Amino acid sequence: MINIQDIRDTARDMLTKGEARIVIGYRRGTRGMLAEPTFITNPEQADELVWDPTCFHNLSLYLVHDRKFLAHMRQNPGAPVAIVAKGCDARSIVVLLQEHYFKREDIYIIGVSCEGTGVLDERKLAPLLNGAHATNAAFDGDDFVFTTEVGEKRMSAREVLADRCLECRTPYPKEHNIVFGEDETGRQLEAPFAALTRFEAQGAGERWEEWSRHFDRCMRCFACRSVCPMCYCDECVVDSITFPVTAGTTAEEKASRIKWIERSATRSENITYLMTRAMHLAGRCTDCGACERACPVNVPIRMLNNKMEREAREKFGFEPGASIGGPSLVASFLDSDPGDFIR
Amino acid sequence: MEKILDKKQVDSWVAALTEWEVHGPALEEGIWTYQPTNGKVRLDHPNTKQSPKEFAFPQREIFFSFEQIKGEAPRLKQIMPKEQRHAVFGVRPCDGRGVPRMDKVFNDHVEDKYYTSRRKNIAYVGLACNKPPSSNCFCLSVGGSPVSTDGLDVQMTDLGDRYFVRAITETGKAMMAAGGKIFADPSAAEQKQVKQTHADAVAYPQRKINDPDGAPAKLKASFNSPLWQEMAQACIGCGICTFLCPTCHCFDINDEVHNKAPLMGQRVRTWDNCQFPDFTMHSSGHNPREGTGARLRQRVNHKFQYFHENFGMHQCTGCGRCISECPVGIDIVTVVNKVTEHAG
Repeated sequence: MINIQDIRDTARDMLTKGEARIVIGYRRGTRGMLAEPTFITNPEQADELVWDPTCFHNLSLYLVHDRKFLAHMRQNPGAPVAIVAKGCDARSIVVLLQEHYFKREDIYIIGVSCEGTGVLDERKLAPLLNGAHATNAAFDGDDFVFTTEVGEKRMSAREVLADRCLECRTPYPKEHNIVFGEDETGRQLEAPFAALTRFEAQGAGERWEEWSRHFDRCMRCFACRSVCPMCYCDECVVDSITFPVTAGTTAEEKASRIKWIERSATRSENITYLMTRAMHLAGRCTDCGACERACPVNVPIRMLNNKMEREAREKFGFEPGASIGGPSLVASFLDSDPGDFIR
Repeated sequence: MEKILDKKQVDSWVAALTEWEVHGPALEEGIWTYQPTNGKVRLDHPNTKQSPKEFAFPQREIFFSFEQIKGEAPRLKQIMPKEQRHAVFGVRPCDGRGVPRMDKVFNDHVEDKYYTSRRKNIAYVGLACNKPPSSNCFCLSVGGSPVSTDGLDVQMTDLGDRYFVRAITETGKAMMAAGGKIFADPSAAEQKQVKQTHADAVAYPQRKINDPDGAPAKLKASFNSPLWQEMAQACIGCGICTFLCPTCHCFDINDEVHNKAPLMGQRVRTWDNCQFPDFTMHSSGHNPREGTGARLRQRVNHKFQYFHENFGMHQCTGCGRCISECPVGIDIVTVVNKVTEHAG
């Protein structure tokens, strides 16, 4: 079991000694039991930090924000950013390091092991609470325990755990500077890619029908893109301005910009958006599930990413976020590649 | 007009509304949305994921189509919404109060014909909230109430096995008249019960904005507060808060080209969102709302200051959607409270 005091002490210590310029972690939010991201610069704030099954967010997104901010302000990083990272989050950081998005020495990873469980899925929880509102969530080693206005409610992990956590293969952050919690890798409740496998067992017609419904529902709020640490491009095909405009950009350049995707949230445009995103995440997505959780209309976005992840795994034995120095999926070539087209 | 409707008779009432296309809450893929009822009305929803603003202000509105054949004059064809009456059932009071606010935007000193031609054909049949459907409800803080009738044509109140149904507008009266004998006159006991139910609903604890009346002036004084950036640090810049909001109304207009030669396409209005980084991007590359703090301030100030200055009312109706659905916990109640407490 993780003692939150250890995380707080680490944060306080680093900030006091100037070993970190900021600690990115979780604190209790103002809406019910849910945690929210926090950005601590003052050692006295360290006691705000929490660690519980509502710490859903992949905070490595904020390393990307920080890096963009520094670039914009033309500032040097100075002391590292310390960040609380779960297994999946730490693998995201590894991918970002692999892509040289920032330097290893500029990041201090405070690893937290999910210890064989993971984070909640609020959408699974809501109907089980029968209209009651939970004010606290905890994991006692066997079950999840919720404090509500009508007393304590216990639920098994299988009932309320997020799908990605049920299928998680690496709940322990291998890449870290310091780590809390036991390595309980291998305690997953479902086989990897279980949801994808179930989906693919259907016929082509049913699969098309199901995804047509999902594509139609998408409102294009771009929460999936915005919450994803891998979606860091300065130019995104969906934006109305699809390239960085500077004072030197000519009117011709602006007028002749290619409009890949219309603003309308129609099926064709939504397919183009979601498929483009899935392709660009191949070999990079660590299945943190942030996109699917953020989606307000329950599009099962993970399934698209899982499909790419499984292809890479089966065809090339590739595991995203496994090692900083390792090759990247789309930027490396094997002499043993069976495809002729590439030679 | 005040009547009693047996719960088993709701579908018969809907069947009697032959001139209307009736929509109601439906649970699909785990989310509540408004769908054509096909004769079956469900009113056991908390609140819908999206507000009913889409009926008068759809996410995509085609203004006109265009065609340009070389050497000829361009041909434009205006495309107006179809003349069809829509009745929306199960509208919660907060979303009802969104309607007059949208009317202010689209039909005050300037009439937006696309909006008004849809709006005049829509009837909102409300359902009072006996208990706040979300833990983030705060309608009482913004001049509303769980039993408000603003913006509604009919108000229904759940009395267990019956509904107490009240016509608010002439349209509402006509709709109830269409039901004829399905409705019964309320007894004195039922009148008393609905009064009590409404009183209990208003007494139910909600989240609270501490100084809504002082907010416009205090927000104005806090424009340069460092709190904005602090509170928006986690913001990811997505469109959830605005797209789900019953009163957010910003839009973008684009020409969608479907054919190059001859040039053919449509001019289309789509929802836009002040939290997108490119929302205020100038063609020079300068962005006056560069950071998330400036964007959060825009959304909050629009609701609690600018709109108030323009129309004398808050633009927020306290539905709590932006709070419940924000992926990173940005909470408009906390934001307004914090800024107003630190003002001056």
